[in-house]
Amino acid sequence: MAAHSDHVKHHNRICVPGEHLGLESEYHTGPGTYRRNGSIYASLAGHLCSRTEVETELPALTVLQQEIQITVPRQKSLVTCKVVSITSKFCRCDILSVESVPLTETFRGMIRKEDIRATEKDKVEVYKSFRPGDIVLARVLSLGDAQSYLLTTAENELGVVLAKSEAGVPMVPTSWCEMTCPKTHDKQLRKVAKVQPHYIAYAS
Amino acid sequence: MLTSRSFVKKTRKGGVMKVVREHYLRDDIWCGSAACTKCPIDKPVLEKEPVPEVENTLCSYPHYLLLDTNVVLHQVDILEDKAIKNVILLQTVQKEVKHRSLPSYKRIRDLIANETKRFYVFTNEHHRDTYIEIEPKESPNDFNDRAIRKSLAWYDEHFKDTPIKIVLLTNDIDNREKARNEGRVAYTVNEYVKAMEGRPELMDRLAQIETKERERKANDSDITAPGGRNVLYPEHLSSYEINAGIKQGRYKKGTFKASRENFREGYVSVQGMEKMVFIKGLANQNRAVQGDIVAVEMFAESQWTAPSTVIAEDKGSKEDVLDEDTDNSHIGPKKGAVPTCRIVGIIQRNWRPFCGVIMPAAVKGGTKHLFMAAERLIPKIRIETQQYETLAGNRIIVSIDSWPRDSRYPLGHFVRNLGAIGDKDTENEVLLLEHDVPHLPFSEAVLSFLPKLPWTITKEDETVREDLRHVDICSVDPPGCTDIDDALHYKPLENGNAEVGVHIADVSHFIKPGNALDTEACSRGTTVYLVDRRIDMVPDLLSSNLCSLRGGVERFAFSTLWEMTPEAEIVNVRFTKSIIKSRAAYTYEQAQNKIDDKSQNDALAIGLRGLLKMAKILKQKRTDNGALTLASSEIRFSMDSETHDPIEVERKVMRETNSMVEEFMLLANVSVAQRIRQEFPQSACLRRHPVPPLSNFEPIIKVALTRGFELQVDSGKALADSLDKANIPSIPFFNQLLRMMTTRCMTQALYFSSGMLPEDEYLHFGLASPIYTHFTSPIRRYSDVIVHRMLAVAISADACFPELLDKAKIQEICDNLNYRHRMAQYAGRASVDLHTQVGMYSSLPV
Amino acid sequence: MAGLELLSDEGFRLDGRRPSELRKIRLRLGVFDQADGSAYIEQGNTKALATVYGPHEVLGGKGKPLHDKVIINCQYSMATFSTNERKNRPQGDRKSTEMSLHLQRTFEATIQTHLYPRSQIDIFVQILQADGGNYCACVNAATLAIINAGIPMKDYVCACSSGYVNNTPLTDVSYLEESQGGPVVTVAMLPKSEQIALFKMDNRLHVDHLEQVLEVASKGCKDMYAVMNAAVKEHVSRMAKSMECS
Repeated sequence: MAAHSDHVKHHNRICVPGEHLGLESEYHTGPGTYRRNGSIYASLAGHLCSRTEVETELPALTVLQQEIQITVPRQKSLVTCKVVSITSKFCRCDILSVESVPLTETFRGMIRKEDIRATEKDKVEVYKSFRPGDIVLARVLSLGDAQSYLLTTAENELGVVLAKSEAGVPMVPTSWCEMTCPKTHDKQLRKVAKVQPHYIAYAS
Repeated sequence: MLTSRSFVKKTRKGGVMKVVREHYLRDDIWCGSAACTKCPIDKPVLEKEPVPEVENTLCSYPHYLLLDTNVVLHQVDILEDKAIKNVILLQTVQKEVKHRSLPSYKRIRDLIANETKRFYVFTNEHHRDTYIEIEPKESPNDFNDRAIRKSLAWYDEHFKDTPIKIVLLTNDIDNREKARNEGRVAYTVNEYVKAMEGRPELMDRLAQIETKERERKANDSDITAPGGRNVLYPEHLSSYEINAGIKQGRYKKGTFKASRENFREGYVSVQGMEKMVFIKGLANQNRAVQGDIVAVEMFAESQWTAPSTVIAEDKGSKEDVLDEDTDNSHIGPKKGAVPTCRIVGIIQRNWRPFCGVIMPAAVKGGTKHLFMAAERLIPKIRIETQQYETLAGNRIIVSIDSWPRDSRYPLGHFVRNLGAIGDKDTENEVLLLEHDVPHLPFSEAVLSFLPKLPWTITKEDETVREDLRHVDICSVDPPGCTDIDDALHYKPLENGNAEVGVHIADVSHFIKPGNALDTEACSRGTTVYLVDRRIDMVPDLLSSNLCSLRGGVERFAFSTLWEMTPEAEIVNVRFTKSIIKSRAAYTYEQAQNKIDDKSQNDALAIGLRGLLKMAKILKQKRTDNGALTLASSEIRFSMDSETHDPIEVERKVMRETNSMVEEFMLLANVSVAQRIRQEFPQSACLRRHPVPPLSNFEPIIKVALTRGFELQVDSGKALADSLDKANIPSIPFFNQLLRMMTTRCMTQALYFSSGMLPEDEYLHFGLASPIYTHFTSPIRRYSDVIVHRMLAVAISADACFPELLDKAKIQEICDNLNYRHRMAQYAGRASVDLHTQVGMYSSLPV
Repeated sequence: MAGLELLSDEGFRLDGRRPSELRKIRLRLGVFDQADGSAYIEQGNTKALATVYGPHEVLGGKGKPLHDKVIINCQYSMATFSTNERKNRPQGDRKSTEMSLHLQRTFEATIQTHLYPRSQIDIFVQILQADGGNYCACVNAATLAIINAGIPMKDYVCACSSGYVNNTPLTDVSYLEESQGGPVVTVAMLPKSEQIALFKMDNRLHVDHLEQVLEVASKGCKDMYAVMNAAVKEHVSRMAKSMECS
């Protein structure tokens, strides 16, 4: 998303919460701003910039803070997480970042067996898809129960992006369901993501 | 606008509590002078060209005066003269004066409020350039002196481009010298006043402290010095030693009371001791004056003595000997010896201005005179005056300034000439002063808080007040009464009950808490009635006009409205602020006539009859509860309307209407007391009448027994009943006499704050009411003003303020009221006595 | 009347301020690295420290996560050494629970709670030194800490107290002035929109004077806002510079 931000214009202006930024007829609200009575106000303290994504649309006003942005996972957002444990029914993981925003604190997520892939759901085995320590790209399915977010990897682009072999080196994907260790040539089964560059632009 | 540096001030109080407070220093405090071009002031206090009223040979140039604390403390009499103008008063000085002497502080505040005096208060402790910090080991006194000099220097610097000079007036030689060394102009008050052309009489009004101090410094010795005089009295201990001594139990704290019989003897009522402690000899009294709070040292039992049986008056024969009769050479305790002590130090002086007469000087034409106070318990006072001829034969006022160890008598200075002895005004004045009745005309500051005339009722007033102008209200008072504070009405209701209303002048509407008017009224406490004069608690405009519920005019009132059954049972009670229009102001006699005149049947006549009927039932109920009917010998003078001389004396006649009004006032008071007690459980201002101890009744029981009557004194009811029975038909006066005597046995009724006592002590014994207060005479009693405020808060008609909730503060006010009340009674009685005597004297055949 | 003269006839308060002046304010944003946001404020001798954590997952058995907004959890406490007497103050006594609740209400009114469903924001405020206006200092410190944490809110919340003495309203009352027993009105408001987030009153005040007192309090809030605003802007630009340098 951040990758094809086209025209970012820095206003060189510091604004504080409650500050009037512009009219709704001239701008969209971006992160760090909110709308009230037809006007746009800042909700964060930071630098103001406007961003035009599509030529025809109005520019979005954003207040950028120099420090970390804050966000929480919401439905359908793309999250990066780390597998913590697996059982035969599901795999637990910590959500590390939402979209392009890294979280300061992890949120708990869960990928159920039936949500691992889109086809042949009944043949899925959790241990053949994920192992603890894997970095997984997933999408928030629903906010789940009180305990954790329900995640899914049932898309081609989703799944393991980074896994280490027993030798401690990152493995290389060899097919959509297999990875190989470059050192030991050991082969392991994974639900591998067909990595899209813009999905992992931030993951580095 | 504010450039403040934050300072931290540490103070220690009590144990080891550390208090940190902020102290802001500012640069926007101005000098207050019209001559100054640097300070942007809109209303300068000090004149641009300070030309003194009186030419001064010492300072012939234009100048402002800057006062030291001791000058303000001791020489207010001089400062009040119109010759002194353009004065800079420092905050430091003001603070110290307030701390050391509240009366002086009040007087100085009045001076500041008086615009023609041009007194400017400079807040030096918050000024960036004049703030100083206390140095280690510096005494508070030195610190203050230094602060004064610092401000002096600032002012000097500030005015260096103008012809105006700043003159420091101080009585502290040390401070004067220091200021002079710093290149400032400084004089003592004596020097300054002496140099005033054409006002030599001002010298008399100077306090005597400085001269004595200088003399003593010259002698510089505690024992006999060559050329000096004998040291007559032992030294007083310092306050530090006294405090330490009291803590250790070596000394005791008490109030000194001179003996009425013998000037050499006195008593000290020590805290926590039932009996007064005896003091014999002037040296042991050690310069204590009636009423001073002193520290005493108890003697061992072997040294106790008995009060002498001789009546001795101070003839003042020998000036330099104290106790010539050395008959206390006996050894071992005398017969009838009582605990005896000696005074080691004075904790607080109770000096006030005294009235009296001047005595001729020992040397003819000399300037040193003795002054004899009207109050016998006050020692003679030595004063210095040039104007003996004018003062002789007059009543004068003198203040005590000091009492050095080498002086047989205290030193004082002349304050005021009241007038010739025997003159009516003069004697009244003496009477007022002696009873400590504040009777000076109201100061400018006080008057400034009066409403502006013409006073009208505004729309706003009408919205917040209940309109009772349509109700037929009337007032019933003694003849000639101009401060009418209560009015009544009675209205039959359709359900057979009746609405009864008591309407009290709404004084608290005009007196807002905390302003000068309020403070003054609070300190006066009560209106004092003398035979030919009335000393108002509040200015005349309020007492006789705006607050007085006169007939036919619209006035603000605080109304209490009851619905009552024909049996005088209260169905409900309601309080409200209202606007009323009294239909008529009756005298007791007029009201009585109206009731009795069967031909009159207008609303007022019906109302009065209804009220009277109710009142009788109420009275009966009260008496059944054990309320006492006591008698006092009240007499009235008929006055000549022109000269205000009493023409004849008559005893007060009690009419039914008197007790009718009284009955409803009592009812209102009780209702209000219950209400404010509910609202202010901790700080309601109530009135109690403690049950007198049985021992009080002993004399009267004996008297009654001689006539064969047994008085029951164990309860109010029993007493009332047995008093009723004690009747000798042949001597109709006997019962009244008994009642008068019973009055004497009673304890004093007192105001108090409800939080200070347990509930069962709220009792009003005389009225047999479990709770009581004063609500009905706010024009002449301050207690009622407080009660009004409380009630107003209770019905959410007015704002509450912290003082109302502070039980200690209310108690403090109550204590003052009790004192003023007592003094007013004494003064009233003394006035009656005076006039009776004058009347008898003049009616004697010559 | 005897006792302390809170306002001299010359128009100065005990500490030398005029009736409408605030105490000296000193503040700092970001005093702790550990927390997500923190701030320290001094209003005269009242010193408060606020830290903000979150938004994070709802932890502990305390509250259930709300599906549409964030839970704001406030905790107010006073340091043992904050008053004249050293005093152990148990957590969760009545006074601090009440204060916590007040704070929570105040900030629920201004934080954009709908942005972070199913999560929680913790605001901890501690009074390090108490000298009157504790609540105000807490609100102001917490506002700064929230800004520091980058949690979006509609507006600042500024709080200021005012008292009423001798027919004159006083701004920002100190402990000494508070303890005289007069009425004290505490107002927390959003200075830009002039909405009142919290209104608290101790002791009685006549309704006729309320407007006056309220006006003074809101004036105080706006003065407070000016100071805080300047500090925040300064902080943001300084952060920006240090980012550029690194």
